[in-house]
Amino acid sequence: MSLKELFHNTTLADRILFSLMIVLSLSGIAFIKEILPDNFTVHIYADGYPAYILPLDKNRVVSVEGPQGKTVVEIKDHQVRIIESPCHNKLCIQTGWVRSGAVLCLPNRIVVTLGDPDKHKKTVDATTG
Amino acid sequence: MQQQDKYRIALLSAFALGLHGFENLLPSPIPWLRFGLANIVTLITLLLYGMRPAVMVTLIRVMLASLIAGSFLGPAFILSLGGGIASTLVMGFVLHIAPRLFSTMGLSIIGALFHNLAQLFLAYFLFIQRIEAILLITPVIILFGTLTGTVNGVVSALLMKNLIKYDQKVQNVNEIK
Amino acid sequence: MKNKLKVKSEKLIVFKIFNYCLIFTIFYILFTALSCSPNKERIFKKDKILMDTLITITVVSDLKDTAEKAIDAAFSEIEYLEKLSNHYSPDSEITRINRNAGVSEVKVSDDILKLLEKALYVSENTEGAFDVTIGPVIALYDFNKKIRPDYGMIKKNLSLVNYRDIIINRDKSTVFLKKKGVLIDLGGIAKGYAADKAAETLKKQGIRSGLVAVAGDIKAFGLKPDGKPWKIGIRNPEAKDKEDDIMATVELEDMAISTSGDYERFFLFNGKRYHHLLNPKTGLSAQECRSVSIITKEGAFTDAFATGIFILGPEQGLKVLDKLGFEGMIIDSQGKSHLTQGIRKKIEFKRTVS
Repeated sequence: MSLKELFHNTTLADRILFSLMIVLSLSGIAFIKEILPDNFTVHIYADGYPAYILPLDKNRVVSVEGPQGKTVVEIKDHQVRIIESPCHNKLCIQTGWVRSGAVLCLPNRIVVTLGDPDKHKKTVDATTG
Repeated sequence: MQQQDKYRIALLSAFALGLHGFENLLPSPIPWLRFGLANIVTLITLLLYGMRPAVMVTLIRVMLASLIAGSFLGPAFILSLGGGIASTLVMGFVLHIAPRLFSTMGLSIIGALFHNLAQLFLAYFLFIQRIEAILLITPVIILFGTLTGTVNGVVSALLMKNLIKYDQKVQNVNEIK
Repeated sequence: MKNKLKVKSEKLIVFKIFNYCLIFTIFYILFTALSCSPNKERIFKKDKILMDTLITITVVSDLKDTAEKAIDAAFSEIEYLEKLSNHYSPDSEITRINRNAGVSEVKVSDDILKLLEKALYVSENTEGAFDVTIGPVIALYDFNKKIRPDYGMIKKNLSLVNYRDIIINRDKSTVFLKKKGVLIDLGGIAKGYAADKAAETLKKQGIRSGLVAVAGDIKAFGLKPDGKPWKIGIRNPEAKDKEDDIMATVELEDMAISTSGDYERFFLFNGKRYHHLLNPKTGLSAQECRSVSIITKEGAFTDAFATGIFILGPEQGLKVLDKLGFEGMIIDSQGKSHLTQGIRKKIEFKRTVS
């Protein structure tokens, strides 16, 4: 049975199915990252080290230990905020709810980022200003 | 069910189990991507003996493989069982309502597709619960499944052709006797 | 005869099965090759908060270990510089210089000498618009609590602001502040210098391409894995959402960029914007510009000149840039952009600033 014979043994439906599956899955691989909303995960870093990687669709409150003490982060309804911080000026708490980007607490060295950090890399590698 | 059929089911199950085990030995580019070689046996059973023996062969294979590997009732077992049953049922259903629409290769692709879809559903509802993770890997798994399904289908078609030839030969011999 | 034929066909079938196995194997190898191709250059990225700001180091490497080791070494270098230059910490070299103002000269390390020499170079080239001795006046403001100092106080402290009071002795590696009460604050130059040093450390660790972003002070070297230069976004001074709104992008190859803007630390009072870029002559926030971006080889210079030229204003600023051969973009208070000749080829505007 040669390849040619093999091809003749398949039905039209076979070929349509095969091509359809290949095209759909390839385009799926190519576009799924674009279709998906990017803010599915929350990354919390303490002093440069990842402390938590959490899904954004589950409401919860977590606390992380920074150099100055405990910072408490709340995740609710696809938003994130810092609700407690040992830092002096409490700018991180004043930032309030965040839907994309990041919340920082510079004094306690806590970084909370939302979404896929690689997504923005496609446009620029860094931002000045 | 005739005595001879029981022997055949036992034999086919043993083949399926063997392929299943062999497949686990093959290194895979991504841990949970498998070639689905056992599907060849399922498909042949389905074509030769029909739906019930095919389901049976699948059940026996999954049960025994998990018992041997020590993963009985574990996550791998549930995924394997769900995938195997779903693919067998859908292939049987397609064969039943439109026997001439797809060749062996087409059936094999459909089997691979539903094997993967069932596993992804189960993985989502039982273990991962992160829809974005599932959605991200779905196209990769389906692409891979289509390719392995095609190859398995070709192998199945080849086997079928020879088995039918062999069967005819055996019948001829019997007739002469 | 019949038997012979059968044997032949069986042989053929074995051969065909072998063929399919071959196809199978090719598929398999193809997939393995696709899923994990070794020795391909990749981008590694790590964030850390140091110098009271978010620092992101990005490197291109084919090995994770090499990349992480280099990034960690660069972070330690920045940490070391922070220890030397932080004027809030009680035991930094800068604090020792400040404490001995008007009393005695202080022996300092090579990095502090270089930092101060570069700072003085910028001061001289901006007619004192950039001045590391602005500390006593900045201390009167609190941009978080919206505290505006009284003009008398500013005037009193302005007498302590003069970069010429810094005396550097290269041979003895010492620094002396002539007047008591003079304070050095390296906040306007240390971040850019840290980006330079971190990039140098990365290169020493064998990294050929990388990007160090100490907040908005960015140093780039080498090319990305796709062969393109690093692309830097310049923040829109009118932006509501600080994270996303970019007014233009520039491509950098072995260059540094810094931006000073009036939106970084500020408060509004009676419609007037009080921000952290203070004119050392008046002690008040400079009002001629909204944003200034500078591009040149050294991060220490981009950082300091961005501040200095923001205070000088667009006309004089452009003259300084042309004289020194630096590139830059100045957005004035009306939102009009002033560009040097060289930057026009590199910059790409996303939207016009109104």
